[in-house]
Amino acid sequence: MTDILLPIIEKITKKIDLINSKIGNLISWLTLGCVINCFVVVILRYVFSVGFPWMQELYVWQHSIIFLGGAGFTFLHNSHVNVDIIYSKFRLKTKCYVDIFGTLFFLFPWIIIIAYSSSSFIKSSWRIYEPSSQTNGMPGLFLLKSMIWFFCLIIFLQGLSLIGKRVLALFNFSKKDLNNNLLYSSED
Amino acid sequence: MMGPTIALLMFPAAILSVLIGYPVAFTLAGISLIFACIGYFLGVFDPSLLTALPVRYFGIMTNEVLVAVPLFVFMGVMLERSKISEELLTTMSELLGGIRGGLGVSVIIVGALIAASTGIVGATVVTMGLLSLPVMTKAGYSPSLSSGTICASGTLGQIIPPSTVLIFMAEILQGANQKAQLEMGNFSPEPLSVGQLFAGAMIPGLILVGLYIAWVITIAIIIPEACPPVNLSKRQKSELPRKIVFALFPPLLLIVLVLGSILTGLATPTESASVGAIGAMFLAGIKNKLSLKNLREVMRSTLLINSMVFIILLGASVFSLVFRGLNGEEMVYELLSNVPGGKEGALLVVMLTVFFLGFFLDTFEIIFITIPIAAPVLIRLGIDPIYLGVLIGMNLQTSFLTPPFGFSLFYLRGVANKILKTVEIYKGVLPFVALQILGIIIVFNFPSIATWLPDILFGNNFEISSSNLIEDINNKNDEDIGILDNFRNLFNTNYDRSVSPLDKFKNIFD
Repeated sequence: MTDILLPIIEKITKKIDLINSKIGNLISWLTLGCVINCFVVVILRYVFSVGFPWMQELYVWQHSIIFLGGAGFTFLHNSHVNVDIIYSKFRLKTKCYVDIFGTLFFLFPWIIIIAYSSSSFIKSSWRIYEPSSQTNGMPGLFLLKSMIWFFCLIIFLQGLSLIGKRVLALFNFSKKDLNNNLLYSSED
Repeated sequence: MMGPTIALLMFPAAILSVLIGYPVAFTLAGISLIFACIGYFLGVFDPSLLTALPVRYFGIMTNEVLVAVPLFVFMGVMLERSKISEELLTTMSELLGGIRGGLGVSVIIVGALIAASTGIVGATVVTMGLLSLPVMTKAGYSPSLSSGTICASGTLGQIIPPSTVLIFMAEILQGANQKAQLEMGNFSPEPLSVGQLFAGAMIPGLILVGLYIAWVITIAIIIPEACPPVNLSKRQKSELPRKIVFALFPPLLLIVLVLGSILTGLATPTESASVGAIGAMFLAGIKNKLSLKNLREVMRSTLLINSMVFIILLGASVFSLVFRGLNGEEMVYELLSNVPGGKEGALLVVMLTVFFLGFFLDTFEIIFITIPIAAPVLIRLGIDPIYLGVLIGMNLQTSFLTPPFGFSLFYLRGVANKILKTVEIYKGVLPFVALQILGIIIVFNFPSIATWLPDILFGNNFEISSSNLIEDINNKNDEDIGILDNFRNLFNTNYDRSVSPLDKFKNIFD
């Protein structure tokens, strides 16, 4: 049984890691975009005394794409901080159980609640293709609201990948160090 | 009474579950939802309250003021990756190192300057430890003095503007202030801006820097062999003037400009931060360090840090939502207003709680879960919000320095495992903990140290931030009533409809 399952799990986790890695590398450009966008707004405002509401919204929107869209990438790189005073002293097996437990009972319920509770919030926005409420603001506010779902999706996938990796480790399928969430160098 | 009791249990439960080592953001959200479930089954929690989550999240997503955070992080990481911070430190230590204790003083000054931009204690202590510890050891500094200086300087980022911690703090205090003023019958409260809190933290921050420097100088006089002067080679001496012009002056000017434009109210924090980030790129470009590789690394680090902090905010807002849903707030109000010693007593209790939490949680988690709950009560009792924010910042610094749990000690030990003994680190930070406590006592007793500068700079009715945030939230309210109704039917609960739960959640941080 495990002979068939484990390679499949490995394949799926690899795929998810690759996806989030690509997304993260792409979205990281938005940090530069945000800097330049905001700087242009400053120049236009203080040097030329003009302002465009959509441009002011654009960098705020970019920022929300950065932290929501980059959350999976951050999870992949173990950068969502944890308190490892005790964790670091656990045996490898215990670490695996902690991660599986946490994903199933802390992360997934949260994701499900967000996805569920935001459904009418997002759907009603799509129904009218809601634009920004500001005059001359950005179009496509419904897309920004949908970022909440995108966040749920990628963080859910990364949670699955984490469980997958820990299961592999428990079955001794992979002997890599757990402190590095990247079992496979899917980077670059 | 059952609801509030369960709510209070959320604190120990959160600490315990965070300790098992799963990411804090997810743990906070998850444990809060478990409490929401318990509350629901006991009939003291209305699950339709959870529909306020997307509205809160959307409020965070469209918050213009908080965009300053990634921009400052970008600036800080850029200065670090392009080795500008490093050269700032080496130049400063060559400039002051010739004097006894000068190296220690330069570490403190540079710590205060560069620590602020990322606000993450661990990162700053690691950077400072890697850069300064070898230099100090080589110069013959006593291990305890050098470790104490590095740890303490690393925590200055909590309090010295433009600290990202203060940006979040100001936004949360703004919400808390709004709420408290409404409850006291003031329907048009004055908004509290990031600039005001920056101004408020300025003098207390400088007092701390002054105390640190005074301590190092005292040591230099009493125990000269603990901090000997550095002997500069002839070449170093001849290069020093050039380095001062090219390595010391530009980043200093950048930081002063960014901070100055915020404090004088010339620009908003977000605007200044973007100029700072562009300025950092410009400085890196001059040094020929703006390669694609460096840029990608900076963008990646910014993304990781920013996402980490904001996802904690998302997770922690579940905590405060559920805490409020269980009526925990009334309990907190009851408790705090009955503390002997009036508002000062209540403040002291909150300070001690924050200090204690500092042993287990990092800055962001602590301010995201405690301030939304405690600040409205304290403000209602008559505590000035800026004064409160500054005190909490100083308090967190102290907590991160206090052995055996202080965060910065762990990080320094991680960097300097072979050079320093744990006991030496502990011995080294103790005087700084004492200085911190002295600083807190000074500000605690003379609130005007924190409130004087904001009053001078911003007057009483200055306004830059947050008003548009509240408008946003208000705009969203109409459509959300509909969603809430759907949810009520879904869960088939019979709650009092006369009070819309959303009224309680007008502001994302309440």
